[in-house]
Amino acid sequence: MIVALDIAIFVIMLLTAALALRVKDLLTAVALLAGYSLVASVLFIGVAALDVGLVEAALGAGITGVLFIAAILLTTRRSVARERPKQQALTMVLIAGFFGLMVFASTDLPDRGDPEAPAQTGVSTVYVSQSLADTETPNVVTSLLADYRSQDTLGETLVILTAALAAALVLMRRPEDDAVEDERAKAAVEDERATDAVGGERATDAGEEQP
Amino acid sequence: MIGAYPSVVVRVVSALLSPFILLFGLYIIAHGHYGPGGGFAGGVFVAAAVILPRMTLDEELAYRLAPPWLGPAAGGIGMLLFLAVATVPLALGGDFLDYAMVEIAGVAASRIRYLGILVVEIAVGIAVFGSVVLIFDVLTGKSDA
Repeated sequence: MIVALDIAIFVIMLLTAALALRVKDLLTAVALLAGYSLVASVLFIGVAALDVGLVEAALGAGITGVLFIAAILLTTRRSVARERPKQQALTMVLIAGFFGLMVFASTDLPDRGDPEAPAQTGVSTVYVSQSLADTETPNVVTSLLADYRSQDTLGETLVILTAALAAALVLMRRPEDDAVEDERAKAAVEDERATDAVGGERATDAGEEQP
Repeated sequence: MIGAYPSVVVRVVSALLSPFILLFGLYIIAHGHYGPGGGFAGGVFVAAAVILPRMTLDEELAYRLAPPWLGPAAGGIGMLLFLAVATVPLALGGDFLDYAMVEIAGVAASRIRYLGILVVEIAVGIAVFGSVVLIFDVLTGKSDA
């Protein structure tokens, strides 16, 4: 743990998060969020959580940005300025109170890497000491995820798959939607032709409309 | 987003890089016992190797490499593989997900748990790969699921 590095990482994370909220160009916001995730992965690796850091770098800084950009291409690139809510003072007080509560609660947390911390004295000692003998797996995180606590992993995988399927159901373009759009486009073309027909070209237009 | 990118440099670099990203993803899945990684991170890398050609290469080529049905199919296959591995010990009289109950002559129980972890990581990797590709295909309107 290097204090200066940690402070720099937190400052960069706060800056990128605040800027991502402020910028009007959503593509810039996506790039800032990807940078935020990359710095967050450095933070995780700094506390020796390599597995979490790897997932954060791959998913947060990589794929999430791609999915955001795909969503921007589907919708719009500019964010619309929201009108300021009336109870802004109340919101600020609530946020400040919550922040104060979190800071107050964090003073009771054990120090990072404290061997007397509750998380280090419970069942995790068994996992750490027995992983190699039980499962021949030196990486305790893997044996925890896929063996000791594999039911959690089963649930997580199910959640990911369900989320993807739900997103697909919401976003999928159904054939009947396309049919409706086609009909609308055809109606628009016919309207144009109807106005053109006033010019006396009705005969040729009618011929073209035969499929 | 979809289709051939105008710059030839980007196209060539993407075409060269994506097989190596795929290899790295498979390595991450298979190497979870000894280093950081495992099914979740590896599956994301494999998905990146499929999504990169879709964003940069010619549409027909990219979807011939990995057709749109691959996403939902992989998601379902991975989940079913996980559930199958989970229920095998149950059928042999043990607990749900207790791989050590599976007895193979000449293989230690710890080795069987090691192999069980490997199969679970592969299943998770396939499911995560399928989920990410499915979301991308649906967002870009190319899903035929």
